[in-house]
Amino acid sequence: MAIDRFLQPRASSWMANAGENVDIAMSTRIRLARNISDFHFPYAFSEDEALKVDKAISAVLLDKGRELDYNFTHIDIQETQQLEREVLVEKHLISPYLARGQHSGSVLLSDNEELSIMVNEEDHLRIQSLQSGFHLQEAYQVANRLDSLLEKHLSYAFHEKFGYLTSCPTNTGTGMRASVMLHLPALTMSHQINRIIPAISRIGMVVRGSYGEGSEALGNVYQISNQLTLGKSEHEILQDLQNMTEQIIQQERRAREAIRSNSPIVLEDRIYRSLGTLTHSRLLTTEEAAKCLSDVRLGIDLKMIKDMDMSILNELMIFMQPAFLQQYSNKPLEPKERDFARANLFRERLNKESLNDEGEDYV
Amino acid sequence: MICDQCGERHASVIVKQKQQGQTTERHLCHVCAAGTQSINIAFEQDPMAIHQLLTNWFPNQQTTVNPVRKEVAVCPSCGFAFTKFLKLGKFGCASCYDAFEPQLDEVFKRLHNGNTEHNGKIPASYGNTLKIKKEIEKLRKQMKTSIEEEDFEGAAKLRDEIRLLNSQLEGGVSNGN
Repeated sequence: MAIDRFLQPRASSWMANAGENVDIAMSTRIRLARNISDFHFPYAFSEDEALKVDKAISAVLLDKGRELDYNFTHIDIQETQQLEREVLVEKHLISPYLARGQHSGSVLLSDNEELSIMVNEEDHLRIQSLQSGFHLQEAYQVANRLDSLLEKHLSYAFHEKFGYLTSCPTNTGTGMRASVMLHLPALTMSHQINRIIPAISRIGMVVRGSYGEGSEALGNVYQISNQLTLGKSEHEILQDLQNMTEQIIQQERRAREAIRSNSPIVLEDRIYRSLGTLTHSRLLTTEEAAKCLSDVRLGIDLKMIKDMDMSILNELMIFMQPAFLQQYSNKPLEPKERDFARANLFRERLNKESLNDEGEDYV
Repeated sequence: MICDQCGERHASVIVKQKQQGQTTERHLCHVCAAGTQSINIAFEQDPMAIHQLLTNWFPNQQTTVNPVRKEVAVCPSCGFAFTKFLKLGKFGCASCYDAFEPQLDEVFKRLHNGNTEHNGKIPASYGNTLKIKKEIEKLRKQMKTSIEEEDFEGAAKLRDEIRLLNSQLEGGVSNGN
């Protein structure tokens, strides 16, 4: 099936590891929200309308996408199995909201997985452009080029005063959300992050961990994105986010230096303990794996760990998640079994220790 | 009972987690409970519970009936009432923006640091129409000044230009509205 290639435990190009600041800025995303005039938005439309919107947008993308050399794969959400949907969510190719499949909807994916277009998510159209590292301008250009092509063939809901009309008033205007994923272990260890988060929210941007405010982010990965979509141009929003992200990256570098010069042995111990856990465990929970991955990543950045490729860690962050583990094992797994499968995956991929055959049939 | 996770503090929260049909139950202290999470490094969640904010900001919409207009705004196209918009935090269709327009500046000001007007990309087709409309407005003002200054020759020229632009508006350029 066409979907199969996207379910493989293979790195997407945006998980690669290239470019400046890539040690801290892991990936960049631009999302544009658009709706088609003449149809109610997804919170109010009928299944009949949903089907029409889905067909119309999918047809335009499949046909006109070729003008920009895109060969999109069309995936109908309702015809996709639950586990496969979850794999696509874990890979960031679709949102959890779309995965629920409440009405006719689709995702169209480019071959390199850098473009994912969701149809009938919270808005009729969501163009998502993903890049590895810190590349706001490049990611925007990819999304914008496709948007400019689509507007020739689809009549967008646009308002002279309010701009692009969206379901949620937090997206009205540009419909653009730009985000950068940042790995901030030193700012987290030194608790400086707790001062940074509220300061940033005062200037129209938001930093989030994977859990609510103030708590530690899973794997010390944070997402910084623009909150404002009204009043500023796309260019200004991207520039502000660029400046703010650069400042956070600098602060993280300073915090890393401070920790390294103040307590080098403590830091080294922590990093190597985590490396030991990842390469020797037989049971690994998501939380523990995420924490250890963060430490090992920091160890590579600080050149304490030299013989390990960062892109493997990027892949593992994605592949260690529940749906991927089950897809990879070809069977449903209970949480305990997943911890076992996760530990196997890490030992296998990090190649530090050959797998123990007797362990295979656990539980 | 002692917290299942840290084994130190008193457990005060029961966390039930349902995943793929399997329910796990853990007794946690307040600190560990705050840190409980399934992995979710997905890019976008709603930045905040928007409907909660809206209902907090405009708490009186449901009960207060405007004595002058008496009725609550309802979108003629999708049937969403303004109160439903506040409760859900979402618009039902493009026409909602027109139906609720008098109240929207207040909403957008809160959400977008005081901004109420789009200042970014304009679809090419709208762009032309908008540009022409703004040009016509400018020429009209100039024409008025010309007439006041009794420069009738200049006013006639401007009138012809306006006619030309108007015919462009009615003709080829679709505004997709």
